[in-house]
Amino acid sequence: MRPSFFHHLHPPTIPAPQARLSYTLGAGGMSVFLSLVVGFTGILEAFYYVPTPEKAAASVQTISYLVPFGGLVRSLHYWSAQLLVTMVAVHMLRVFLTGAYASRRRFNHLLGMSLLVGAILLNFTGYVLRWDQGIQWALVVGTNLLKTIPAIGTSLYVAVTGSTELGPLTVLRFYIWHVFGFVLPIVVIFVWHLFRVRRDGGIAVPPPALRTQHERISRSVLVRREVLAAFLTGALLLTLSLIWPAPIAAPMTDVQAATGDARAPWFFLWVQQLLRWGDPFILGVLVPLAILAILGVGPYIVRGTEPADLGRWFPPSGRSLQAVAILLALGVVALTILALLPVP
Amino acid sequence: MKSIWLVVGAIVLLSAVIAAGIVETVKPRPVELIPTLTQQPEYCLTCHAELEEISAAHPVKTFGCVVCHGGERLALDGDLAHSTMRGGANPSDFSVVEQSCGSEQCHSGSAQDRRDHIQRATTSIQATYAGALANILYTFGAEPDLTARYGISEVKDAQVQTVTGVPGLLTFEAASFNNPFIEQFSQNCTTCHLNAMPAAGEEYDRFSGCSACHTPLKPRETTADGNIHRLTTAMPYTQCNTCHNRGNYDLRTMTFVPRSDHPTDRLRDYYQPIAQFVKCEYTLDCVDCHTRIEAMGDGDLHSSKKDIQYIQCKTCHGTLTELPRTTRLNDENDIAFRMAQLNPVVELKLGDEILMTAKGEPLWNTRVQPDGTFELVGKATGQTFRFRPVMGSGCKQNIDQQASQYCHECHSVER
Repeated sequence: MRPSFFHHLHPPTIPAPQARLSYTLGAGGMSVFLSLVVGFTGILEAFYYVPTPEKAAASVQTISYLVPFGGLVRSLHYWSAQLLVTMVAVHMLRVFLTGAYASRRRFNHLLGMSLLVGAILLNFTGYVLRWDQGIQWALVVGTNLLKTIPAIGTSLYVAVTGSTELGPLTVLRFYIWHVFGFVLPIVVIFVWHLFRVRRDGGIAVPPPALRTQHERISRSVLVRREVLAAFLTGALLLTLSLIWPAPIAAPMTDVQAATGDARAPWFFLWVQQLLRWGDPFILGVLVPLAILAILGVGPYIVRGTEPADLGRWFPPSGRSLQAVAILLALGVVALTILALLPVP
Repeated sequence: MKSIWLVVGAIVLLSAVIAAGIVETVKPRPVELIPTLTQQPEYCLTCHAELEEISAAHPVKTFGCVVCHGGERLALDGDLAHSTMRGGANPSDFSVVEQSCGSEQCHSGSAQDRRDHIQRATTSIQATYAGALANILYTFGAEPDLTARYGISEVKDAQVQTVTGVPGLLTFEAASFNNPFIEQFSQNCTTCHLNAMPAAGEEYDRFSGCSACHTPLKPRETTADGNIHRLTTAMPYTQCNTCHNRGNYDLRTMTFVPRSDHPTDRLRDYYQPIAQFVKCEYTLDCVDCHTRIEAMGDGDLHSSKKDIQYIQCKTCHGTLTELPRTTRLNDENDIAFRMAQLNPVVELKLGDEILMTAKGEPLWNTRVQPDGTFELVGKATGQTFRFRPVMGSGCKQNIDQQASQYCHECHSVER
């Protein structure tokens, strides 16, 4: 059988041990699938969404309640976006804990990290597009964080929100950021990232001479696994959407008031918790940037995984970065849990 | 990997797709309404199709729901749809009445057009409670006289137009008087004004704001869900009784002593043997005699019910020397027609002669008969009553004693 387009996107064979779900966690592949779902459902929503302050929330209500299958599409968009951020983060953690960031893959690791940042930015801008009381607090607090940045803060704020204060232009700004400003570079980096996976030799494995196992699987097997994962993920998305529809609240009345649900979206809860402890610039801007810098630059300064150690969990070489990644991940999870606890 | 797993995966996905399809098809189909007044589609009728139309004057096709109630017109989720409703179930609560019932074309228009309902009702003595407050404050020595200085909330009147009008009222704060009786009064006796929700108990059951009077809640059991969606100018006396005549204030303990019985016979249960009252009072409904100005105020802030209540026996019956005031309806824009249209118990025609009060309010449910007698149709009952003028009757009262209290001397009903 001549390979199809989808088969051609894969190498003819890949090493069997590294193709196992227990090794990859399926996180990268699932992220690709979720990106496709989130993109497709997003396009459908764009047919109805109206990015003006008066009509934004009403158009979200129209999508949710009046457009046939609109509520389902919106919920699928929501859930695929949440799973996407989760899966990209899991994928990155997997890369750290298997040492796959090392040597020639470290540039692709940077591309991957920018995709994580992109997924979070898209998630936040999409969340804001609801333009209802449920997002109001996070919008005000989140954008005010930009103002705390010395020298460039105000200009950055204007670039993001369209004005020196939140106003009629803000929703259009966020819309354009959401559908073009972030999406276009992300699509480019996404393709680049996948290209670099192949260019860097596919999934990380020891050089042939150092391998203990030489078994390989064909791409048709791989594609079949991917299709199965897509089926199951699709079913999961549908189930989540049916049980917990995407959140919605009453439209905003005064955009500049930090009222409504005083809680950040879940992926920023850890930042919200940090903000409770002191200076917003240091804790709300510098700390997250420092974490990104450590994770991004780490592979360039720390002596990475030895080639013989590639392709397995917790390789002995490069333990320091593994420890850093685990500590940071635990830290983010702990802060998130703290933020969820009732404020005393 | 065996192909069977792909088949299983496909079945799982297919099941989820089918479930999504079923959920979508069993959802209620949105019912759209584009009210002619707002031209904004709203979907409230998806769930509220069974609700009775609130009144002939507010047809749902013209007004829709949202212009009065607020709420999210596009949302089909009950919680979200109701989350921004004005005044909860009651948009006529005085805290939101201006947004709900106001605007020049509706109920906050000019006094000339007689569309200043909100301005009058919110400053009326039934809303300010100024009369009761003035009485209590004077009784317990907190104020030197019976002039009202306090109301339930602060209000000012820039244009005092009557002799008894006061220029403004301060917010009544019981604690500031440092008097235990006044504080007790505040705690126990302030549920009978239009801003307040009533005390617990079926006998007090009413809304606040306009609906306190215009949405009679009895009998609730006539509707499927116990909710009543009705605005009427045909208020039965039972609605007035949710505040008036529901029990007594005990001035020693400063407590409200509610009635413990459930009145069924109006004459026997409401009118006590020691009181002076005439047949009109227990056969007619309160609104058959008491006018808009009396109930809803004249736009001024007053100190006492006495300042605003002016209907007397002679309003309808005249005196020994004078027939009651009447007016002939020669203008089709006469407010009498508007009022008769809102509560069509009578069919007024151009040229009809009706009774008119001393302040010029038309008693639109009355008509002068060709033989010089009068006819009154009960606003809530539709019942027709015939009555005669005093002039030409055998009344032996002194000519200078024509106030109601003198009529009562002979015409009181014995109990």
